[in-house]
Order: sequence, then C-alpha cells, then structure tokens
Amino acid sequence: MPTLTRLPLSLKLPLLAAAMMVLVGAVASQQVLRALARVQDERVQELAQMHVEGLSVALGPLVLRRDIWEVYDTLDRASQSSEGRRMILTAVADEAGRVLAATDPRRVPVDSSIADFAGSADGLDALSVSRAKPILRLIAPLDYQGRTVGQIVSELDVSDLLSERREALILLILGNALAIGVLALAGYLAIRKMLGPVSVLARQMTETKGEPHPIATTEIPKGDGELARLARIYNTMVGAVAAKAEAERRLAERERFVALGRLSSSLAHEINNPLGGLLNVTDTIRNFPDRPDVVRQSADLLDRGLRHLRDVTRATLDLNRVDAEGRHLRSADFDDLKLLIQPETSRRTQDLDWSVCLPDDGAVPFAAGPIRQISLNLLLNAAAAAGYGGRVGLKAETQDRSLTIEISDTGEGMPRAALDRLLTDEPLNPGGGVGLRLVRELTLSLGGRIVHERADGQTRVTVTIRQEQGAFHAQG
Amino acid sequence: MNRSIDRRAFLGATIAATVCGPAHGQSVFRLGLTPVFLDNDAAVIDGLRRALSRGMAREIELVQRRTYQEITGMLLERSVDGAWLCGYPYLQHADTLQLVTVPIWRGGPLYQSYLIVGAEDAATELADLRGGTHAFSDPDSNSGYLVTATDLRRRGERPETFFSRSIFTYGHRNVVRAVADGLVQSGSVDGYVWEALAQIEPELTANTRVIGKSEWLGFPPICARRDGFASEPVQALRAALLEMNTTDEGQQALSALQLDGFADAPAALFDGIAARMRDLEQ
Repeated sequence: MPTLTRLPLSLKLPLLAAAMMVLVGAVASQQVLRALARVQDERVQELAQMHVEGLSVALGPLVLRRDIWEVYDTLDRASQSSEGRRMILTAVADEAGRVLAATDPRRVPVDSSIADFAGSADGLDALSVSRAKPILRLIAPLDYQGRTVGQIVSELDVSDLLSERREALILLILGNALAIGVLALAGYLAIRKMLGPVSVLARQMTETKGEPHPIATTEIPKGDGELARLARIYNTMVGAVAAKAEAERRLAERERFVALGRLSSSLAHEINNPLGGLLNVTDTIRNFPDRPDVVRQSADLLDRGLRHLRDVTRATLDLNRVDAEGRHLRSADFDDLKLLIQPETSRRTQDLDWSVCLPDDGAVPFAAGPIRQISLNLLLNAAAAAGYGGRVGLKAETQDRSLTIEISDTGEGMPRAALDRLLTDEPLNPGGGVGLRLVRELTLSLGGRIVHERADGQTRVTVTIRQEQGAFHAQG
Repeated sequence: MNRSIDRRAFLGATIAATVCGPAHGQSVFRLGLTPVFLDNDAAVIDGLRRALSRGMAREIELVQRRTYQEITGMLLERSVDGAWLCGYPYLQHADTLQLVTVPIWRGGPLYQSYLIVGAEDAATELADLRGGTHAFSDPDSNSGYLVTATDLRRRGERPETFFSRSIFTYGHRNVVRAVADGLVQSGSVDGYVWEALAQIEPELTANTRVIGKSEWLGFPPICARRDGFASEPVQALRAALLEMNTTDEGQQALSALQLDGFADAPAALFDGIAARMRDLEQ
C-alpha cells in the first residue's frame, strides 16, 4: 500500500480504472458463466428426461416380461442414436433392483444389483453440470402404465459441456484482459495527457531546489480549464515569491544602512566631542608656541584624540567592508563592536557589560562578517530595548568547538512580533524592520541556533554556532 | 442337357415375365420365414422374394415373425402356403408337414450347431459353462436350443439348472451379438449363420469363439402342409427353389444367403435331430 501511495497520479488513476474494470469484468463473467451453467443444466435435465421417458415407453412391457434380450437390444439401439451418445451407459433393473440389461453388460452384468452401480446417482431434478465431473449419473424410476416397474440408471458424458464452459471462461478472461488492457492503456494515456500540466507543476515546484520556476507558456494548457488557471495562478505566485525575495533582499540591504544611520549620529557625536577638544588643543598650541611643555602636552592630547578618531573610522569601515565576510573572527572584531556600540550606550547612559573570551591565537575559525552583523544587530536591539540608564551586556566565548554569543539587556522584554521575527519563519509584518529576521537567517545559514530567555528582569538572546559549520562557511 | 434345360427354363421364365408380367392371373404365394441370419437385411429378403417371384411367375409375400412357433403355427393353420422352418419344428409336426426342398450349404444339405463364448472367455467345452449365463436362439430351434439342451440332458443336466440364467434372443444373429457384447457368457447358434456372419460381419464374430460343434444335422428345410404339397403353388415353389441357381436373380439371392442352391430332401436327413428329440423327451 505505501508503494501504491508513492505512485504518480498519472499511473495510479489508470491502475484504479483498470482495477475497477477487472472487478466489473469478473462480475460480468461470473454472471455469464452462471447463465451458461443454468442453460446447460436445463439442457441436460431435458435430455435426461426425454431419455428416461423414451426408454420407459419402449422398455415398459419388456421389463414387465423380464425379456432380457429385448431390453438389451432396445438399449443398444437407443445408444446408437445421436441422443444416446451422451448416455454412455444405461442400465435397466426390475422392481427388485436386479439388473435386466445394460448397454455395457461387462460393467453392469445381468442379475447384478442396480444399487451397486447407481451409487450416489442423482435424480432428474438434481442433475447438474456445475460440479466439475465429466460424467454424471442419473437414477430414475421406469414408469409404465401408471406404475413403477423398474429403474433406469444412466451415465451422461458432459465433458463437452464442461469444455464448452472452460472455453467460455478462457474466452471471457482473454476478452476481458484484452479489453481491460486496451482501455487501461487508453485511460493511462488520456489521464497522463490530462494530468500533464500537474506533472509539470509538480516538477517546477519540487525539482528546482527550493526556487520555484514559472511554467513555460507553451506548457500551459490552452483554454480556461482548471489546469490552465492553476498553471497561471502558479506562475503568478512564483512571480510574487520572487518579488518578495527581492524585496526582502533589498530590505536587508537597507537594514544594514539603517544600522549605519543609527550609528552615524553616535559617530558624529563621538567625532564631534573630541574635535572640540582637539580644536581647543590647536588653539592652545597656537597661543602658547613658546611653551614647550604646553605644546608637548597638547601634542599628546592631539595624538590621543586623532587615534581615537582613527579607531572609530576603521571600525566603521570594517563593518561595511565587503571582504569582512571572507575572513575569520578575531577578538579585535568584538573590540570594534564595542567601539561602535559604546556611543549608543553612552548616549543612553547605559552600562555596558563586555566579556569576550576567545583563544589567544588570533583567528577563530568562524566567519567574521556574519557574526559581526549578528552581534551588532542584537546589541543595537538590546540598547534600544534597555532604555535610558539600563544595562546592556555581551558575552562571547568558545567552548567545545562552538561559539556562544549572549546579548542581554534589562529592558521590558521583546514583544511578540520581535520574537516571531527572531525565532520563527512566519511572514514579516509590514513596518517591523528586518534586523532580527536578518539575525535569524544569518544564524541558520551558519548552522547555528538561537535561544531566547527572559529571567530576573533580563532578556537574554543566545546564539550558538558549531565550529565546523562556521568554519565551513568562513572558508566558503 | 442340364444346360439346355436351364436355358429353356430361363427363357421360359423370361418370356413369361415379359409377356405376362409377374403375378398376373396368379394368387399371391405366402412364404413364411423363420429368423434366418440376414432377416434384418431387407436387401437379402427382397432379393429372395424377387427371385422366387420370377421363378414362380407370381407375387411372393415373405412373412416374417419373431419366433419359430409363430411361423410354424401360421403354416399349420394355412396362413402361409409354405415356410422355411427348422428341422426341429418340422419333426414336431412331421405328420402334418412335408419337406419341399432343403438348402445346399457348402456342398450338402447339412449344418452344425455351434457352442460359442466370448473371445476372451477361458471356457473350452460345455462343462466349463456351468453357472454362467447362456443365450439360446429359439425354443423351437434345433441348433439354437435342441442341440445344447440334449447335450446337457445326455449329461444328466437341464439348461434351467446348469446355467445361472438362460435367455432366448429369437434370432441366431442376436445370439452372436449377446455373446460378443458380453450380455451372456455363452450361446447356442446355427453354425451356418455363424459362418455366414464371419464372412459379412467379421468384427462381430471376432468377439466370439466356437468351443463346440455338433454332429452334422439336416439343414433347416422348406416345408408345406402335407395336404397341400401337391398343389400347384407348392410345386411351383419347389420348382423355383430347385432351379433358383439357374437364374441371375436366383444366383444373386443364393449368393446373398451364401447357399449353393436347393435340393430334394431325403427323409433320413433329419434322423440326427429326431434322435436328439427323443433324448430330450426321455
């Protein structure tokens, strides 16, 4: 049965139709054979009755006289007739059941008991060819002038009737098999043609590696039938899916710039603050050029300020560099992240708990780009959630060949829509942003998993990525 | 001399047939027939009728009955003018009946009675048939009853007790059929009939085997009432029979009957049968 369910529809339906035809054919054949059997039974019974009646008329007086020769002679002549050929043996007995004569006296000798020969012979009404016996045995009373004067036992050869029945059966089977075969083939071809568009649809949906392709116009059935409409609707859906994927891709791209936009104000502030100080330093140098100590101190201040500006600029560049995804993760990547998030947390007077515990050998075999993006998005989300005076935390560590990044905040907790974006594949609601969904997709693409928990007034989102997967993707 | 007489007789018969036509001016002659071997063959009977009709120049009616007794009775009561009887009924009524002619078979007016069994039967003589079933031809038949009955009587037996069952088939051919088909174990049959059947129905006699033959006895004769013997029709019959082998039709009829011809019968011809009759009556 499971095999049957796996069969394609274009094969299953003709098979079903063929099975039904076999059933109908079998029932019809059974009816025909039953009718044939009934006709044969009636024929044999009628023949036997005529035989018995004819013999009764001819043999009655002879049996009364116990004229053995005349009984034999009459039986012998009767057996030569065409009707007699079916009666392969007939024996006649007197009232006492003693055989007077039989057409084959050697088998049924004169004076033997008719009961020994009759055995389980049937009466006229019970005579039936339906049993698989080529020879039937009939017993009937020999009535003459209103009284029974003896008995007649006859053997009827019905092998020709059985052959007739066998031939009918064979012809029916062959005929049915041929008809069913032809009809099943025709049905198969017709249904296959009818279901052709469905097969094309299934192929387009299943054999395109998750990227449904539209059905070619030439393969769409003509007219406005269900299948044509189905194909057109499918093509429309494929177009909609492609458009949606494109929209999501653009949205993700935009999200990256949104993140940058959100950072840019902090960055401006970060750059603007030291710039004010640096301008003061340059004024100081300009005002006190003759005081070397002041100039030196100012130069140190200037140096620190410019270095800070350089670090901020580099971190921003790294985040957006295309080749960032191609290299391995380093501790410095988390330093950059800290540098980037600090202005955001500072602006909200938030505390930042930062704990990064990565091996000292530099590169960790995880793709740097996606992990930076995942961490930054979660950090930005946490910072937004924690509100003013809140606490945001990041803990990154490697353990048992896996990297765990835990982002925490003391906010009110993530709303249902945000959790759906982060933890499920449900469609995005308009206006919700795609940052968290991007986190989910990037994590899944690295073979990782995301766990969300809310405890003690803290929201914790933990992303765990196995090293093999991360390493594979990093190298790829 | 014989040839000229034959020719004259033939020519006379032919002229009579041509000028007068058969049976004109003559009453029909009725000849009774006991069941001869080919009594079931209409062509043989018709051939005999035509030959006699031609020879006697009158219509011949051949009268057949099932039993010897019926034919003998008809002859005795003048229902027939003559009859082909058996030696046994002739002797039974010898005071009333007279021999007309006797057939010549294989050169003489004699024949035998055969005791036959099935081809596969192991019996070799009459004694082996004790307790079996037996078919006689007719109770008034010499070869088909009297011979076997007297053979048994001479041994102190009777058919009714010697055989488990004996039947009468009222025809020598029927006796052969009854034995050949296995209806009975053995049978008493006219030797002439058995030999003739061996010629024309060899497949029938092949299923039987002769285990005993009687002495030669007088062949079944053609008889008439003693008081009518001298009458013209009976004499015409006698002449026609005696001269049957001189005409084509007669020869054809004789050939069909496998007989040589007919001859006058000496009274002593049936002494053998008479002797058996005496034995049976004792």
